[in-house]
Amino acid sequence: MENDILLHAEKIDKRFGPTHAVDHVSLDFKRGEIHALIGENGSGKSTFTNMLTGILPIGEGTFTLDGEEVAPKNQVDANHHGIAIVVQEMGTLSGLSVAENLFLGDEDQFMSKGIKNTAAMNKKAQELLDSYGLDHIKATSSIDNYDFEDRKLVEIVKSTWFDPKILVVDETTTALSQSGREQLFKCMMHVRELGHCVIFISHDLEEVLTMSDTISILRDGQFIKTVIKDDVTQDDLKTLMVGREMSDHYYRTDYGESLASDVAVSVKDVSVPDELEDISFDLHRGEILGIGGLSECGMHEVGKAIFGASYNRTGSVTLADGTEVNDINTAINSSIAYASKDRDNESLLINDTIQDNITLPSMRDMGHVLSDKKLKSFATEYANLMSTKMVGVSQFVSALSGGNKQKVVLARWLGKQSDILVLDSPTRGIDIKVKADIYDLLDKMRKEGKAILVISEEIMELIGMCDRIYVMKDGKINGELDRSPELTEQDVIAKMV
Amino acid sequence: MNSFLTKARQSQWYGVGLLLIMTFICWAVFKIACPTTFGSADKMMTYLQSGLIYAVGGCGLYFIVVMGLFDFSIGAMMILSELLAIGSCQYIGYAGIIIAPVVCGLLLGLCNGIAYVKLHIPSMIVTTGLSLIYESFSVFASNWGGTRLDSAYNAFGSYPWNLILALAAFCFCGFLLKYTKVGTYTNAIGSNELTAKNMGVNVNKYKVIAFTLCGLFTGLMSILYLGYGTAQTPQTGMLSQALNFQPLMGTFFGLAFKKYGHPVVSIAIGEFIIAMIFAGFVALGMPTTVNNVVTGAALLIIVCLTTKRVNGAVVK
Repeated sequence: MENDILLHAEKIDKRFGPTHAVDHVSLDFKRGEIHALIGENGSGKSTFTNMLTGILPIGEGTFTLDGEEVAPKNQVDANHHGIAIVVQEMGTLSGLSVAENLFLGDEDQFMSKGIKNTAAMNKKAQELLDSYGLDHIKATSSIDNYDFEDRKLVEIVKSTWFDPKILVVDETTTALSQSGREQLFKCMMHVRELGHCVIFISHDLEEVLTMSDTISILRDGQFIKTVIKDDVTQDDLKTLMVGREMSDHYYRTDYGESLASDVAVSVKDVSVPDELEDISFDLHRGEILGIGGLSECGMHEVGKAIFGASYNRTGSVTLADGTEVNDINTAINSSIAYASKDRDNESLLINDTIQDNITLPSMRDMGHVLSDKKLKSFATEYANLMSTKMVGVSQFVSALSGGNKQKVVLARWLGKQSDILVLDSPTRGIDIKVKADIYDLLDKMRKEGKAILVISEEIMELIGMCDRIYVMKDGKINGELDRSPELTEQDVIAKMV
Repeated sequence: MNSFLTKARQSQWYGVGLLLIMTFICWAVFKIACPTTFGSADKMMTYLQSGLIYAVGGCGLYFIVVMGLFDFSIGAMMILSELLAIGSCQYIGYAGIIIAPVVCGLLLGLCNGIAYVKLHIPSMIVTTGLSLIYESFSVFASNWGGTRLDSAYNAFGSYPWNLILALAAFCFCGFLLKYTKVGTYTNAIGSNELTAKNMGVNVNKYKVIAFTLCGLFTGLMSILYLGYGTAQTPQTGMLSQALNFQPLMGTFFGLAFKKYGHPVVSIAIGEFIIAMIFAGFVALGMPTTVNNVVTGAALLIIVCLTTKRVNGAVVK
């Protein structure tokens, strides 16, 4: 039985200042299994795997892989120990070729007396890409010539070509289309077939139950339990993650409410080259309007277009008072809020404090001389209103988990008293408890008469929360669906493809 | 036609082709404006000679600028290197002309790198501060060896030796960029330092290496510059800063055309274009001040036209 254990984590512990991110976690990972690691945002999953893969130094405790203690100094060192990771965000570097990205930090195999055999490196890179069925990606091309999905696939090749003993897949699937996911799942199965282990982090519990053999749950940095997938249901997992029973109905339960006649925003013939074509719709007060579709259908550009953040836009976005929104300043002055899908790069000042992030758009209403005391109490009020898990508002946003970052974004716009909210993927990478909180908040704001546009790739979110859903395809609106208890995922998918 | 253009744009020689077209247009414009005083074969060789000098410095700066850093001490390094070369050649002849600037450049570059890494302050401030120190050293060096090069030692000021040295420097730079880790790692650090670190790149080490290489190429540029001008006076009070910008222009060309895969060739052609524009305005009888204005504007226009600028993209 002992021999079945490939990786043993012994009392792994990590603190970030006053935050106890991982609290003496001991866990076993067996050979030939896909072992899911689940928990709420901030439960310590990523910190745990980041220590295993050399992204973060180990605080306390030991990892023992195949009987040998390992403490990787960086990702490449981890690779040399047979540990690899596919990260959630972009993990390839611009300005480098595909081959250079594939072997970055590991060029020594092509080096002789300090000279790199570039031709051999390119050849091997192309062979690897071809063997993964990615022959449309050229090893010698600049990585910048490829889109997010292809770059993610390059990353998957980079992490798996050397048959790692441990492969960590950290919330990667949300960034991939169906075919990309299939490619990733194939790689995960291959690792398992070799008798190695995949540590799979995902918030999609259905995906977790489909893909994994064993599931370990972390909560507030502590290990809760390891379960066999056949022994549990999604609800059991939710309960274990949150620590209390979760209601099945965290979506809205009301049906048949008629829409208010007040139009908050009128979008007319909006086009953006290569993204949108003649989009027109009205967003009403007291309405949650959903926009869905496949990832590349152009729906994410709709949010930017309304917020005045879209370049080369034609057509008009007009508010109830006749104001035309053509730029971000007008949008903010007109009480429009926007949360981007790309939270870290477009919505947050990632290397700044929670206070600055929350108060930034509201500062214009606070006079010319800003009082730090006032700013602090403003930020604290709205961060607390969103139940943000933090040490204080002077904490840097970069230290927060994904869900808490999203709470900071929402707190910012709550503080600005925005009447029109444009939320792109509001629950992306967020655990079910925070999701439930956000859904509650959206419903409350809807009842207060705010106009809310939710752009989402999660069909159930659209069906569960929206009064109307526009489904987009190839940059155009391909259909409209009204809120109804009879509305199914298939109805939405039929309009998407 | 469209697919031909798309294919052409993906070719690694597209950028070089574009630069050659620009060179021709630039030549043609000035040739039409002043047919007798600009653009003859021997004059073109003179412009090339001037361009070669700064292109060698531009190659060194490329290692720094591609990482998002700056070295504002190369002017001071160049002056000190030249003055040490003038002094050394009086004792060991041509060996002094070569060894003194190379060693001086390497050491000062290493100093820049170590100071930058250890002090944790912006490279612009570190190198500006150090340039003041290097400028002071140049006064001592001029007292030791004088300010004029013996005319018996100016072979690097004319063909073929200037060309040979410059080509050797270009080849060395190209080799470093393509066939060593330095090229990949400096690019990676410039793209995302944190990710590069996570991939096992020793970021501080490669920053020091980049500064050292910048110093080395500055030393090589000094050899050519001294041969061309045959004299150098010490500069203080940050006057040496004026020498930083012409090599930097070539570096900008290299960065703008980096995506086509031939930064060194782009630096060399870019400096040649700049030299031609300078000479063109002289031929038109413009004062040097106007030259600087027009050259600066030309540089901005060229980089704007050749760089694919994306609306809304963050530019730092």
